[in-house]
Order: sequence, then structure tokens, then C-alpha cells
Amino acid sequence: MKYTIRRIWMLVVTMLIVSFMTFLAFELVSGDPAQTMLGTEATPEQLAALRHELGLDQPFFARYFRWLGGFFTGDLGSSYIYRQGVWGLIAPKLSLTLLLALISFILITVISIPLGVWSYRFVGGPFDWLRTTFNQLCMAVPPFFVGILLCWIFGIILHLFTPGDFPALRSDPGGALRHLLFASICLCIPRIAMTVRMMRSTVIGEMEKAYVRTAISRGNDRRQVLTRHVLKNSLTSTVTFLGQTMAELVGGSIVVEQVFGIPGLGRFLVSSISNRDYPVVQAIVVLLAFWVVLAGTIADLINQRVDPRLRLGGGAK
Amino acid sequence: MLEIKDLHVQFNSRDHEAVSGVTLTIHDGEILGLVGESGSGKSVTAMSIAGLLPRKQCKLSGDVLLDGQDLLHAQRSELRRLHGRKIGVVFQEPMSSMDPLMRVGTQIGETLRIHQPDMPKEERHRLVYEAMRDVELPNPEETYRKYPHELSGGQQQRAMIAAAIVSRPSLLLLDEPTTALDVTIQAQILELLKKLNRETGISMLFISHNLNVVRKLCKRVAVMQKGKLVETGTTEDVFFRPQHPYTQKLIESIPTRHGKEVR
Ligand SMILES: Nc1ncnc2c1ncn2[C@@H]1O[C@H](COP(=O)(O)OP(=O)(O)OP(=O)(O)O)[C@@H](O)[C@H]1O
Ligand SMILES: [Mg+2]
Repeated sequence: MKYTIRRIWMLVVTMLIVSFMTFLAFELVSGDPAQTMLGTEATPEQLAALRHELGLDQPFFARYFRWLGGFFTGDLGSSYIYRQGVWGLIAPKLSLTLLLALISFILITVISIPLGVWSYRFVGGPFDWLRTTFNQLCMAVPPFFVGILLCWIFGIILHLFTPGDFPALRSDPGGALRHLLFASICLCIPRIAMTVRMMRSTVIGEMEKAYVRTAISRGNDRRQVLTRHVLKNSLTSTVTFLGQTMAELVGGSIVVEQVFGIPGLGRFLVSSISNRDYPVVQAIVVLLAFWVVLAGTIADLINQRVDPRLRLGGGAK
Repeated sequence: MLEIKDLHVQFNSRDHEAVSGVTLTIHDGEILGLVGESGSGKSVTAMSIAGLLPRKQCKLSGDVLLDGQDLLHAQRSELRRLHGRKIGVVFQEPMSSMDPLMRVGTQIGETLRIHQPDMPKEERHRLVYEAMRDVELPNPEETYRKYPHELSGGQQQRAMIAAAIVSRPSLLLLDEPTTALDVTIQAQILELLKKLNRETGISMLFISHNLNVVRKLCKRVAVMQKGKLVETGTTEDVFFRPQHPYTQKLIESIPTRHGKEVR
């Protein structure tokens, strides 16, 4: 319990630091937003009026805390380009990207854990090279290529979805989910291969440990050694790895959203960067950072449930 | 009674046999000491009794009979039924030999769960507590729920012994069980083993490279060198009238304070 509270406290502090650094960085690079929005012909009166409207005449820290509070109130300022509230612009895109990440994460977890354990059976066997080759192939093929292939087979030929034409989540949830599912398959393949390889080497490593010999000396068979002892001991590394995967999925979805024509956060981020729409970019950066830190925290909290050694005061050892 | 007849173990990756022609008997209720320098094949001998050698990586020949039943060439499934039920094993490093994520009590009761799956939970708990009392683990109820890292080295080794005896096997293999412990704890564990042997009549193979330890515990001792048995006899005979030059050298290498006593 103490550990949980400490870990959440760490999360809050990290996020405060990240948000402050982000705010500071954008403060430095963005110049005068009022000038950017109004262009060069603006009169000083117009500029002053807009600055007041945007709150730019306030001191730095006042603006920072107002912006920070915006993550709770939903008021993150307005986009330079769209002249709309940032939160209103981001929210629907964020939910699509998170949905894509979540579907991918579930697929990765339910497929790679059994596959990783199962692949242990082939260690040193005659088909191990085949497994290794297939695994490396899956990791090496870039997602955009798999994406194009999937779009072609399931979209153009089989008409299971229309690449580039994403149905609205509200009006056609089934179609939207199907679209997301194919995108997540493409996002998953290399990560499943990576997770399987990681699990396999973790299980191999655990199998060498002395407690396995003890387990055998007590009459456990191979399967029981795996299920009663080795799996649980392999879990912490797997959870950590999956936590990283969860964090990376959101970043990794940028390319895939592009290929499948999903109006998610990734695409929006790319276009906002090229438009120098700083309030939007700033908010997305913080949200992505929060996602990464949150995934790590959840992984740590799960691990601390699994491994009593992590519950000790220091958290180390 | 355990009989080893002309045991040979050859690892595929090695030129020399790890064990070449060992013949040994452990009588019922006896503690037999097995000594020898590092690499002399003591552990391999014990592991071949316990059926823990990687069969694919080595060639085995000879006979290992436990109460007449062949252990060396037995089916894997048959061996598994003996593991923990008829033969208990205790290894050198108690910490790494225990599953770090399993409660101590659960580990102690593991052989019961494996070999008597129909046993009611209450009965299993009762037997675990009994074994914990046998090995003199403090506060059994509390210790049951602890994890290995929460125990001291001596307590860990006691828990390992409890786990090895909970199913009341007839033979206990102890591969340097006290080497990783400090001297006072080591003495306590030796006392414990003596007591267990006296009270339950369990036979033991006690492996050590410390002759003093063996002398305290065992009536009979076997000496190994380079995979061969060079001398077997009562502890008295081997210590005071060593026949083989290697044994003499081993005895001389005991620190002098004890050496005087030995001569
Ligand atoms: N799995 C294995 N593969 C190959 N060789 C092995 C294996 N296990 C043991 N050996 C070899 O067999 C020989 C005997 O080893 P063993 O472990 O029985 O020695 P020991 O008497 O127990 O020594 P120590 O006092 O160091 O424990 C050694 O030469 C060792 O290198
Ligand atoms: Mg050894």
C-alpha cells in the first residue's frame, strides 16, 4: 500500500516536471502567438487585444498553472489554425488512437504469452530454426508494408473495410472497430514477435535457475515446473516489457493511422507540427508523456503485486 | 537400502568420465558421508541417485537400486513418483534453491500436493507444520506465510530440509547443505540432521568437502577422487588409518588446530 502511494506520488511529480518542461520549451520556441495568428499587418491595438484575450499578458507562472489546470477542466487554450478549443479538437482523435492502442495491446497480450511459453517447447529442437526465421521475418517487415498489404487484401479485394474512409465511431461502431482491428493487426505483428522472443529467452533463463532443479526433485513434471514456478517468475519481465510496448504503441500508431486513413492523434500531431499549431502540439506532447509514464507505473504496480521482494521499503532489490 | 553398483557417468561434452565405477551402499537408517575435492564427482553421484542428470547429455551405466527398484534406467514418469516421496534432496544454496515467489509453507508442502493431490488441505497444513516443528523453524504459522527472502540463511536451509522430509522419504540426499552457512548455523544444522536421523530413521547421503563436518555426523564415509571411489570405511578407520595416499592428503589439509586432534 505504501509502495502504491509512493509510486503514484512519483507519477504526479514526473508529470509536473514533464508538463513544466514542455510549457517552458514551447514558450521559448513559439514566439508571439498573437503575431502569428494575426499576421504582419496587425495593428498594435489588435495585437494587444488578442494577447489579452489569450491571456498572454499574464505572468509566466500564472499562465503555466492555468494551462496545467486545463488538463482537468478541459480548457487547453485554442488552436491557432482552427480557432477552436484544443481539447475539443484532440478528444475524438485521442479516443481513436487509444482504442487502436488498446485493441493492439489486448491482441499482443493474449497471443504472445501463450505463444512464448509454447515456443519454449521447441528450444533446441529440429524446428527451432524455422521458428527463429519466422520470428525475425515478423520483426523485420515494416508495419507500413504489412499495412499496405492488409489494405489491399482485406480492403480492396475482400471489401471488409474501406482504406482511407474511416466510418464515424458513433454512427457505425462495427465498421469503425473492424477498421481499427485491421490496423491493429498490422501494428501488432512485429511486437508479438518481439514479445514472444522476450518471453522465450526469459523462460529459458528461468529454467536454468536452481529452484527449477528443486522443483524437479520434488516430483514436478515439465509442465508443472512451467506452470507452478517458471511462469510466475517470468511474469515480472513480461509485464515490464508489455508496459513499454503499451507506451510505444501510441507513438507507433502514427504510421499505421496514416496507411489506414484513421483520423487519430498521430496524423493530427504530424499536421499540427507542420502547421506550427503550438497549443495543439503542446497538449499532445504532454498527453503522450502521461501515457508513457502511466504505462510504466501500472507495470510497476502489477510487478510489485507479483514479486514480494519489490515490496521492500526501498523498492530496489 | 540404496545400492550403487559400478556406476559410470560420462557427459557427452567431456573426455573423462565424471563418475567411473562407483560402488556404494547406504543402509537403512545410516548417514553415509561422501567426501572429495571439488570436481571429484560427488554431486554427479548424488544427482544420478536422484535422477536429476540431463539424460540426453550423458551416458549412464551401472545400477542404482532403491529397495530393489532401479533408479538409473527407470521411466521419467516412474522417477517422478519417487522424487520427493521416496527421495528428498537438499542443495547447497538454500536461497537460490527456493522459488522466490512462492510462500515458504507452500514450498514445504509441495511434495504432498504433487504426490497426494487428494489430501485435504487441513491435513496437508498439519503435516507441513509438523515438518516445520521437526526442523525447529520458529513460529510455524507466521513462517508458513513468509517468502524465502524473509528468512535467514539457516532458516531457509531448515525450510529446504522440511520440504525434503515432509513426505517422509526413506532417503535424504544432502549436497553440501551447510557449505553456504556460517559456522554456528552449520553446527545447528548438523545437530538437526543427527536428530532427524535418530528420531525418524531416515537414511542420508551427506556430501561435503569438509572432513570435520563429516566426522561429526557420519559413522561411515566414502572418499572420491576424480570420479573414482578411493576408500570406504568407518569414519574411525578412514581418519586414523587412511589406506589411500589421497585420503591422507585430504586429512593433512584439515587446518592444524583440528589436525592435531585428528592424529
Ligand atoms: N552438466 C554437466 N555437464 C558436463 N560436465 C559436468 C556437468 N556436471 C558436472 N560435470 C563435470 O563432472 C565432474 C564432477 O562434477 P561434480 O559436480 O560431481 O563435482 P563435485 O565433487 O560435486 O565438486 P564440488 O565440490 O565442486 O561440488 C566435473 O568435472 C564437472 O565439470
Ligand atoms: Mg558438488
